[in-house]
Amino acid sequence: MLIVDEIKKNDPHLRLVALMFAFGFCVLIAGLWWVQVVSARKYQSHLETQAYRSVRIPSLRGKIFDREGRVLAENRPRYNLSLYLGDLRRQFDAAYDQLHKAAIQNQKQTIAAREKELGRSLTKAERKQFALTGDQLEQLRQQARQLVAGGAVAQVGRELGQPIAFDPVKFERQYRTRLALPYTVINNASPALLARYEEGSAAIPGVDVELQSIRDYPLGGTTAHLLGYVLRDDNSKEGEEAYFDYYLPDYRGVTGVEGSFDSLLRGQAGGGSVLVNSVGYRQSENILDAPEAGHNLVLTIDLDLQNAAAASFTAHQGEDARGAVVVMDVRTGDVLALVSSPAYDPDYYVGGLSAAEFQAETAFLSNTNLRPQINRATYENYAPGSIFKTVVAIAALEHGLDTNEIYHVQANPERPGRGIFYLGKRAIRDTAPPGDYNFQRAFIHSSNSYFITNGLRAGAENILRIGEKFHLGERTGLLPHQETGGHFPTQERVESSNWRAGDTANLCIGQGEIAVTPVQIAVMVSAIANGGKVLWPRIVERIEPQDPASGEAATNFPAGLVRDNLDVHPRTLSILRQAMLADVQSSEGTGIAAAVNGMQICAKTGTAEVQDAHNRDISQNFWFASFAPYENPKYAVVVMVEGGLHGSGGLDCAPIAHDIYAAILAKEKKATPQTVAKQ
Amino acid sequence: MNTETLNKPHVILDRLQLAALAGLMFLGAMFVFSATMASESAAAVPWFKQFWFHQIIWYVLGIGAGAAICLVDYRTLSRWSFVIYWAMIIFLVAVLVPGIGTVHGGARRWINLPFFQFQPSEFAKLAFILAMSHFLSRPADELKQRENFWKGICLMLLPFVLILKEPDLGSALVLVPTGVVMMFVAGTPRSYLLKLGAGVGILGVIFLADILFAPRALQLPMQEYQRQRLLVYFGASFADAKATPEQKAEARRVQAERSYQVNQAMIGVGSGGLLGKGWRQGSQTALGFLPSGAAHNDFIFSVIAEEEGFVGSILVLTLYAVVLFTGLRIAGQARDRLGKLVAVGVVTLIFSHVFVNIGMNIRIVPVTGIPLPLLSYGGSSVLCSLIALGLMQNVHIHRKGY
Repeated sequence: MLIVDEIKKNDPHLRLVALMFAFGFCVLIAGLWWVQVVSARKYQSHLETQAYRSVRIPSLRGKIFDREGRVLAENRPRYNLSLYLGDLRRQFDAAYDQLHKAAIQNQKQTIAAREKELGRSLTKAERKQFALTGDQLEQLRQQARQLVAGGAVAQVGRELGQPIAFDPVKFERQYRTRLALPYTVINNASPALLARYEEGSAAIPGVDVELQSIRDYPLGGTTAHLLGYVLRDDNSKEGEEAYFDYYLPDYRGVTGVEGSFDSLLRGQAGGGSVLVNSVGYRQSENILDAPEAGHNLVLTIDLDLQNAAAASFTAHQGEDARGAVVVMDVRTGDVLALVSSPAYDPDYYVGGLSAAEFQAETAFLSNTNLRPQINRATYENYAPGSIFKTVVAIAALEHGLDTNEIYHVQANPERPGRGIFYLGKRAIRDTAPPGDYNFQRAFIHSSNSYFITNGLRAGAENILRIGEKFHLGERTGLLPHQETGGHFPTQERVESSNWRAGDTANLCIGQGEIAVTPVQIAVMVSAIANGGKVLWPRIVERIEPQDPASGEAATNFPAGLVRDNLDVHPRTLSILRQAMLADVQSSEGTGIAAAVNGMQICAKTGTAEVQDAHNRDISQNFWFASFAPYENPKYAVVVMVEGGLHGSGGLDCAPIAHDIYAAILAKEKKATPQTVAKQ
Repeated sequence: MNTETLNKPHVILDRLQLAALAGLMFLGAMFVFSATMASESAAAVPWFKQFWFHQIIWYVLGIGAGAAICLVDYRTLSRWSFVIYWAMIIFLVAVLVPGIGTVHGGARRWINLPFFQFQPSEFAKLAFILAMSHFLSRPADELKQRENFWKGICLMLLPFVLILKEPDLGSALVLVPTGVVMMFVAGTPRSYLLKLGAGVGILGVIFLADILFAPRALQLPMQEYQRQRLLVYFGASFADAKATPEQKAEARRVQAERSYQVNQAMIGVGSGGLLGKGWRQGSQTALGFLPSGAAHNDFIFSVIAEEEGFVGSILVLTLYAVVLFTGLRIAGQARDRLGKLVAVGVVTLIFSHVFVNIGMNIRIVPVTGIPLPLLSYGGSSVLCSLIALGLMQNVHIHRKGY
């Protein structure tokens, strides 16, 4: 180094000074190296935490379609009128300046008044008492911004011709905790309101239209239990980045298809960042990690049948009737319709209701008698009653029951025209009239005496074996979070010492230690219809990417997955099917009300008694378990109604099944020419 | 030999130093621009009213003043040094008078002139260097007299006390190394200097101990903010040991506020990393974390370091190093002791400013409001720096062998 060399040969004083400078520079360089290179990351993260606010950006929830591509659930834009606080910042400051000036003026006047009072000028210390404290100044700031924000809200109200309430507390909270996000003035503005706003007052500073995505169910209550509902939940699901400063509104599926397939529908939320200045106002935004849209679901549901089932149920039983309908494709296990009544309004959960509607719906939802939130098709245990006789019939036939063997039903001395059965000392009523019965007649009259006798003959073990093949007492896996497996006794239970013949007798008529769901019964009927294949029911046909251009292939859920095989003699099932056909077609049949011209329907009706703790009958469940057509079974229709003490499966459920079969028939007729054309 | 030298084209000015100064001024204008043009409202001001433009005007005026100084031989100037010195002392006293001096941020440092807020302490540093070099340029034997040693000390203490009174601790403190180094180079006996050093050291330790550990009642009378700055630097709590929890909480809040600037400056410097974010891309000033009042003057280095990174910091240090070492070379080549002492004084003053200011940005030294020569915005500072450098060039022009 030239310069240093020159200094070297000069006097030692200067050399020492030069060394001192060099040392000083070395210290600075070392310090800068430490701060800027070694600890750079630390300071960068300091900078980020103070200047960036991370925002969770929810993904677009997938749509839900029926099997023919008709929309069951989609996203609808919702418009909010919002106040963008950053744009109001100057006005906040201006208002504060004014208030501050006024306060100073006021302060001067008080001092002047005080001086007049005392007749002398105040000392410094005395003046200090009148000075504005920091708290007072902060209060002025708060007052100023509330004045400005309240003014803007009032102005919007004037423009729109409707007063809008301004909540200073809510505003203050927003200001303190979410300054970078807009403050909502009007939630869910109607199109008329928006139009008026855009026409008149688009110039109100700081006010703008904010877009939000809201879940929409075009069919409302008809698909309520099937689809379930979503709830506002901005939190991250598993596997997503979990910590954000701000969360934009997001929804989580809670029940039904929305709940069971939530992670598929929901997609992957993304993250963005908002750059804020030292006061916290928004400076700019950018998206760091784009959200991944959720998948569309194509359900196995046929909207026509779903509509028919829901409409018919309501028409026959009323809005508030409790019950369920399941329509299933017996060949594939596809659920074509799934109705639970009473149905709630899914808009209740996404905030689409007016205040009055909301209140009414809240009262309705909390009705402990109706319990509208229960999906009765999958999530409630019911005694099957006489429809379980199909299982007993299979067990008895497999055990060698001679269908032509005549069985005599005794007359009930207390109820003329009805039968009775004595098991030891216990009398069991039989709705079938006294007389002689072969298998088919006993089946269509649903004779308790006949089935108890033959059930006992076959033995509880054999009945259980068949029930196990149907996987009674186990979940079908249709809606994983919203399903009960019902109840079915185990072999151990039957072999145990406290299992008595009376228990078997109860089981034979579908009472006692047995509980099922309508979906289980639909699977059971399907197995009887399709020759013994116990299927896994399916409700989602396939998953598709929301953006067809994404190139991602659709994933099909396999149809007709066989869970188990009945392994019974084909003759057994054919006898049973014949008996079920007769139940609808013969003039004596209990299911005659279901009969439809042009379709041979096979069915078993049931009426299960519901008893309270003291074994008193308090109500009844009516069942209608059916399939059609007889020759080439395609559809299983299960109708269940929670009724009072009067009624029966034939009276209450069969007419609903009738309507559904009529709808199926109408649909098939309409579809036939198209199929021909295709071929 | 003689003729050869005479026939050589005369290198009048130290070109290397001038180039470094030009570089510093260029950076100064650039980053004053960057530090002040971040907000939209600032950008809306007409260009001729903007800080960067004013800074350039000060550069031009300063270069003019520096050039003018070069026209008169420094030996002639030196004869007037005590007149200038006492005039400055009068200004320093005047600025303390409430009607004359104006207050900014709790310190009475400025005298308002029609176009210019005149900061006497800046010019006092210059006057001090002139007077001190004139005083110390007497024969070395005289410096051995105890009396002359104390006279030198008094020459330094007078402006020191007056500036401290403003209060402007930083400006006062830089006088000490400048004076001491000048005395050392002039040949003041080592024993005196060692005693002086020991004395200053002991006083310093007592001073710090008093601030950090002594109870309120026993503390030196001192501006509260200065005490707090020192406490921030040493990371000590503001609250007394016996304070109530409320007082402690309040003290913590005040402490956070006081530490704010330095913390933000450091975040700026640190987040710049190796290569920086690019000119005008720094977010600390744009978002207002680094207060806009400080970014373009005392904390300009933080802006440069954030936007240009470690590389930029090194560039700045290199430019200063060139100025300082060429300055020492000038001192070495000076034709007499007076010239040498002037050059050494100027160089030490600049070094002290650079070290304290940059050190403050990375928390090596406590926050003291002193400018970074030629980079920080400010008329007095720019003018004084350029006049001081003009003096140094003056010494160079009249160097040995010419």
